[in-house]
Amino acid sequence: MKNIFLGLVVIVTISACDSKKKPSADEISGVLDSVKIEEPSISEDVISDIIQQIPSPLEISTLLKESDTKYDKSYLNDPEKISDYNSNYKKALALGVYGTDLGYTNIYEQNQDALFYLNSIKSLADDLSIGQFFDIGTIKRLATNSKNLDSLLLITTKNFNNINNYLQEQKRSNLSILLLSGGWLEALYIVSRVSEKNPDNEQLKETIAEQKIIMDNVVLLMSFYVESDPNIKQLSGKFTKLQEEFNKIEIKTVYREPTYEVVDGMLVVKDNSTSEIIMDDENIESIRNQVYEIRENIIN
Amino acid sequence: MKKLIFALGIILVTTSISQSYAQCNTEKHIEACIPKLQSGFTFLKSYNIDGQGGAKDKVEYSYVFTKGATYQIMICNDGEATDGIVLTLYDSSRKKVASTKYEGSTLSSIAFPCQVTGIYYITFTFEGSTNHCGGSVLGFKR
Repeated sequence: MKNIFLGLVVIVTISACDSKKKPSADEISGVLDSVKIEEPSISEDVISDIIQQIPSPLEISTLLKESDTKYDKSYLNDPEKISDYNSNYKKALALGVYGTDLGYTNIYEQNQDALFYLNSIKSLADDLSIGQFFDIGTIKRLATNSKNLDSLLLITTKNFNNINNYLQEQKRSNLSILLLSGGWLEALYIVSRVSEKNPDNEQLKETIAEQKIIMDNVVLLMSFYVESDPNIKQLSGKFTKLQEEFNKIEIKTVYREPTYEVVDGMLVVKDNSTSEIIMDDENIESIRNQVYEIRENIIN
Repeated sequence: MKKLIFALGIILVTTSISQSYAQCNTEKHIEACIPKLQSGFTFLKSYNIDGQGGAKDKVEYSYVFTKGATYQIMICNDGEATDGIVLTLYDSSRKKVASTKYEGSTLSSIAFPCQVTGIYYITFTFEGSTNHCGGSVLGFKR
């Protein structure tokens, strides 16, 4: 905590010496970034368990493709923007964002675009000392041949899983949480944009509403770091405001016993339970607007 | 002398336990498991099943399953059998959804077309297992 105050005192002192030149948000972020993060009060195992629960952004990309939504590059963050991300905080969030964008290009078989994202991801990962997870030669070879799409998807998904595991082992799970939050918000951003363009598509609205469950987990994860990481504290405030909007949505579930059959040695479950989402268009619009605002703040 | 023998005993037990930990190469099982996912399923996550030579009787993970998606969870071990590893899936209220121990046989895979979005618990237990070691993968399709 002393280090944080020291960092802030340095900023204030620098500002006082040169009153004409105020520190930019990035400069503040950079100083805060260098402050040593104290261990969270909760065990790494608990954090790891919660992180494991968060679904892959790939699931949303697949839903979009299956619902015949066209590939649209304008939804994605510009891969050329990596030089804008000059602190570990910004880099970890951007890595999550680019990871989701890469998954989106993969799902839509846009291998040329995927290569741009891979280069940006590799560069950010190197800066965060996790570049060893990307064998860029193999990945590029797979990306240049559309027949290898499954392998490319597999490798990139495995890499992101491995990075998360590694960061947790390295007691850098604050970065893992940023990576995950950036990735999740980007998926929510993409589905929000698509939903805005297709206002009659109820499934897309339901997908946004169902993110309520994941939102709770993301905010919970951030809460473990708000006392020790000033960057996460700031971000957590925005996510908590978004959570308040999600809290207006109600999900009602009716449980019924499942039934089973065995097909080719596999137990196939018939889930007889049902759920109903109670929401209105105003909720969804408000969520969308907040997501756009937070995402804008993350990528710029 | 008694203390010396006791200390040596502890060292031997600790060594043998750590040797059995080292023998559980979950990565090998996971690598073998991924291609076994049924056609159409996209790989999402892998799970280590390390019962630490019998020291742990349960290994548990959780994941948010989404309504409208079908998930396949597969257990892999040396050969086709699961070496007594049983996968049980529970919903967010901890109600049992399914188990690979079904009507007297132990299967290696579950397909779950999810109708309610929520947290699900994926639990691995060991029933007469020799190695208490395996790997599991989760795939999904729409």
